[in-house]
Amino acid sequence: MLEFIETPPGVFHWLVVSTILFSIGIYGVLTRRNAVGILMAVELLLNSGALNFVVFTKYVAPGAVDGQIMAIFIIAVAAAEVVAGMAIFVTLAKSRKTVDVTRMDMMKN
Amino acid sequence: MLSSVVTNLLFYVFAILAVLFALAVVCSRRILRAAVYLMAVLGMSAGFYLLLGAEFLAGVQILVYVGGIVVLLVFAIMLTASTDMIEEKPSLFRKAAGLFAAGGFLAASIAVFYLSQFPAVRQSVTAPSATREIGLHILSYGPEGYVLPFEMISLLLLGVAIGGIVLARKRARKEGV
Repeated sequence: MLEFIETPPGVFHWLVVSTILFSIGIYGVLTRRNAVGILMAVELLLNSGALNFVVFTKYVAPGAVDGQIMAIFIIAVAAAEVVAGMAIFVTLAKSRKTVDVTRMDMMKN
Repeated sequence: MLSSVVTNLLFYVFAILAVLFALAVVCSRRILRAAVYLMAVLGMSAGFYLLLGAEFLAGVQILVYVGGIVVLLVFAIMLTASTDMIEEKPSLFRKAAGLFAAGGFLAASIAVFYLSQFPAVRQSVTAPSATREIGLHILSYGPEGYVLPFEMISLLLLGVAIGGIVLARKRARKEGV
């Protein structure tokens, strides 16, 4: 009954997990109204991308560290993105009193 | 044998928990709770990295993501005064569009993975601790070195730090942005 426990997870299992996380992130980006919530969903996307890098470096080139280095760069870029996003949202909240993305239409028309 | 069973079991536990917490991140109506759930998802990811043999990366994940980025997100939530804001439910159209996009991507990707052969995939060997290798690769300027992207990242971080200060500092004039 529990044969699947005996075999180690292969590359297919890892890819399915990271794809599920990525899909959840897509759903969050498309449905969230709070801008900070959208930023969190983007973090989910970046995280699953980094996971893919590490999975492939383990299963395609075992012993190499290039995928791990890419994941470190992704984490650094994610940190930069959060800092920039936070500065923009704080400015927006000061000037418009809301971070609801459905009401940010000042560049419309 | 037993340890392999334990690690396989850990993979499934981490995977299920990560997916559940990620769902909580995108569905929670209170944004502060979503930040806490996001912390849990990132912790599960650190567990994934440990299972994949990337200990250094797991440490970086905890230090930078859980210790830095999530804290910054919590600050963003507080400063934009959305702590008490309970987000309205997304409209049916947005929900349907999101489900369609996410579900379509998921179905297409899993179909492709299922049908692919992955000829380049080998039986993985557990590499010895790679922390030393990572450090040497990041700072070497040879053909396998990553010193240029490393310097680009440092410039990016510097630019973002300055930009963040300029954007978010208190303004003297009343009219604001």
